[in-house]
Amino acid sequence: MGIPKVLNIWSTHQFWVGFLTALGIAPENIVFSSDTSEEQYREYGKGRGTVDCCYPVKCMSGHYGELIFGQKKKIDILLSPMIYSLPSFLRGHVLDTLTCTRVMAGPENIKAGFLKERDVFAENGIRYVSPFVSLGEPQKVPKQLYLALKDVLDLSEDETARAVEAGYRALEAFNQKMRQKSREILTWCARHDHPCILVLARPYHMDPGIGHEIEAELQAHGFPILWMQYFPIDDDLMQWLFGEEIRAGRIKSPFDISDVWPSSYSSNTNEILWGAKVAARFPWITCVLRFSSYECGMDQPTYTPTQKIVEASGTLYFKFGDLDATKPAGSIKIRVETIVHYVGKYSPDIIRRKLAALPPGCPLLEETTPESAPLAA
Amino acid sequence: METITRINHYTAYRPRPFTREERATVTILFGGLTWKHERLIQGVMHNLGYKAQPLPNITRADLDAGKELIDVGACCPTIFTTGNLVNFLKSEMAAHGRDEVVKRYVFLTAGACGPCRFGQYHESYTMALDGLGLRDFRLFLLAQNQLDQGATHGGGLEINLPLSLGLVWAILCADVLTDLEYMTRPYEVIPGETDRVLRESIEYLYDVFRNRPQAKLRGGKLKIFAWHVLTDYFTDALREVRRRWASIRVDRLRVKPKVKITGEFWLQTHEGEGNYNIKRWLEQEGAEVIPPPIAVWLDYLLHSPITSEEWKGAERDRKKIALIRALEHIYHFVYNRFRKALGGLPYELPDQEELKQLAKPFYHYELRGGEGHMLVGKALYAYRHKKAHMICELSPYSCMPNTMSIGAMANVLGRYPDLLYAPIEVKGDAEVHALSRCQMILTEAKRRAQAEFEEVLAKTGLTLEAIRRYEERHPEVQRSTYRIPHYGYAGTAANYIIHLARKMGRSVAA
Ligand code: SF4
Ligand code: SF4
Repeated sequence: MGIPKVLNIWSTHQFWVGFLTALGIAPENIVFSSDTSEEQYREYGKGRGTVDCCYPVKCMSGHYGELIFGQKKKIDILLSPMIYSLPSFLRGHVLDTLTCTRVMAGPENIKAGFLKERDVFAENGIRYVSPFVSLGEPQKVPKQLYLALKDVLDLSEDETARAVEAGYRALEAFNQKMRQKSREILTWCARHDHPCILVLARPYHMDPGIGHEIEAELQAHGFPILWMQYFPIDDDLMQWLFGEEIRAGRIKSPFDISDVWPSSYSSNTNEILWGAKVAARFPWITCVLRFSSYECGMDQPTYTPTQKIVEASGTLYFKFGDLDATKPAGSIKIRVETIVHYVGKYSPDIIRRKLAALPPGCPLLEETTPESAPLAA
Repeated sequence: METITRINHYTAYRPRPFTREERATVTILFGGLTWKHERLIQGVMHNLGYKAQPLPNITRADLDAGKELIDVGACCPTIFTTGNLVNFLKSEMAAHGRDEVVKRYVFLTAGACGPCRFGQYHESYTMALDGLGLRDFRLFLLAQNQLDQGATHGGGLEINLPLSLGLVWAILCADVLTDLEYMTRPYEVIPGETDRVLRESIEYLYDVFRNRPQAKLRGGKLKIFAWHVLTDYFTDALREVRRRWASIRVDRLRVKPKVKITGEFWLQTHEGEGNYNIKRWLEQEGAEVIPPPIAVWLDYLLHSPITSEEWKGAERDRKKIALIRALEHIYHFVYNRFRKALGGLPYELPDQEELKQLAKPFYHYELRGGEGHMLVGKALYAYRHKKAHMICELSPYSCMPNTMSIGAMANVLGRYPDLLYAPIEVKGDAEVHALSRCQMILTEAKRRAQAEFEEVLAKTGLTLEAIRRYEERHPEVQRSTYRIPHYGYAGTAANYIIHLARKMGRSVAA
């Protein structure tokens, strides 16, 4: 079973692994395509693109091609789900948690490149399966996956439902582990009064071929990096950051973003906006890195609000926009130097100012929370 | 409390309320459709005691104004509509001063459709308002899928059944008239006649909507709804339009390729510089255009919850599905009554289930954003039923959903290589390139229309002279309101000849 490691697979891969292993597929028989790279596209995807669009979607042809042509052990099934909605921690506090229209429809677009002249899947003895799946609404998922996969994997409704549960459990466990790790890093920062940097981006910007590992260059300068997706959401921390605003009636919960983003339909967008709010408040986040891909229609309306939210508290904000296939190494180098300079110079002041705006009693400074040295994370 | 105020956190734009008392003095601005739809909508608003005014027609200058004030990378409908509002407000500020504009107008826009930027248009609008120093100008968002939202945003606007049904009915009337317009103008004998009668008809219908009987807008919801569905008030008005329309003489022997317009909602609906005036351009290039009715979009909105409700399978959901299906029947019933009142000339609405099935192998029907699977479905529908020679799909530069369905169309074309499909990317400022792309496919469409015409002449054994003689003896066939059935040919001329041949008593298979 091959799964293209693209788009929102980056935030749901644990679900898929949990789900498939619960159905009895051995973990070694589940293959993800490799990280995105220009070579991957050149070798496997070239000429299969059907339209010009943002790179995270465009590069999918390379991932499909690699799974079809580039495996030592041939795959039998290529599973590329059309993920319609996401199980976000903001669900219930926002209008919806949908994926970008290109994320949900990407597989329909990309498969066309492998079908338009002849059926490349069939020629290679591969079954192409692309279930439409509303991961944000768990009650719908068993039926959706059962109908899409029953003939391919010979499933019963019950075992599908059980496997779906296992998938969610695996995803939740993974997210919790990552948040716990982030909390330990934040604790270390708080106790050592050390600045850290928060990345606001879509999950697939974690792919080195899409986000170009810009954040790693900063980490090398000694600044811990956290991804907003895995920011700890424990109640003590949330209350410390947002409690007063909730009591003042400005928001209903720590996860309410209606004060900054009323049209909260899109899951990844919502989380970016929420991350910006956290960054504007959390004292030891003194700098935000915003990544965005070239021609990203979802990010476009968020540029100004995100920047304004972050900068309202004096937190530094740097945007790397228009990311495409090629790593802009030169400009990254220059900007990283600038960022290092600013973070070094202004962080103490930013931390002091933001701390003063929050109530006393930061839970991270309490004795009970373990800390971990950030660079080991 | 004290701690919070030390950092002034960012908040999104929130308009101050538009109150009931302000109704008499504040004008509601709106836009985004064609001048015909907007004029009838204005009639509905006036009928309910609102001051309302559509924004001026979109121009190229709106693109520049929009680009200047919003973040780069927006899709062209966002830029055009934002720029349109900006330019209007600027000119009003120049004439009456800033404060007067803030006091005198509110802007109402549809939104809330979710995954694509359409749900976020207002973010661009508010950014533009900031740029103009008009943050206190009031901008309101309407959910497009709820008929009864009650008094919103301070009570100035009440989204109730009389308003919502009025708006839907106005849109449907403008749609059927638009069909009539586009099927007549390319064949009119006296140039300019169609546009003249169209203007008169729209003004007449404006009065019809403005004078909707108040007594029928009061009382229970069911009563109001039933009146709208069953009354002859609107169908009588459309019959009067038909009577006026009958004065236009047409020459249906002009051989023209039929071009079906599909694409992103705003772009395909628009008539003007926002899409390079492409419908008029196609007509000038010798085509007959099939315009995209808004009615199909509304039908899609109505139908689409069914699929997602079906997943749940509970008793309550089944009832909901049954209710939606009943509403769909009523909706089609109303639309067909309007069509019938215009002599059955406007095109029928495609069956949503059929669109879904046609698109199924290529584009999943639950994928939302833009027109979803309908772009694929509509192209195949026109192709399979021989409704058009060619599809012209208008796709905004950097539109998210459209790029996806255009990509999927590659698969469709692989399977149906003779489907003539011209996807036109509209940037707003690259007209020559876009039109020349369209021109190339249009040339082939013209060739097909001509071949079809000659085939029909040969098949019927008719000559042009014989047809002209028949027309002289039967002038009614040259009336624009004379209905020519569809005999399985895409072109109007071909169907016309078959029809006349049958009238002349020749036996011709369709
Ligand atoms: S969110 Fe942006 S980058 Fe991601 S698929 Fe959508 S348009 Fe492309
Ligand atoms: S459908 Fe495309 S063009 Fe229309 S609002 Fe959405 S992204 Fe923009």
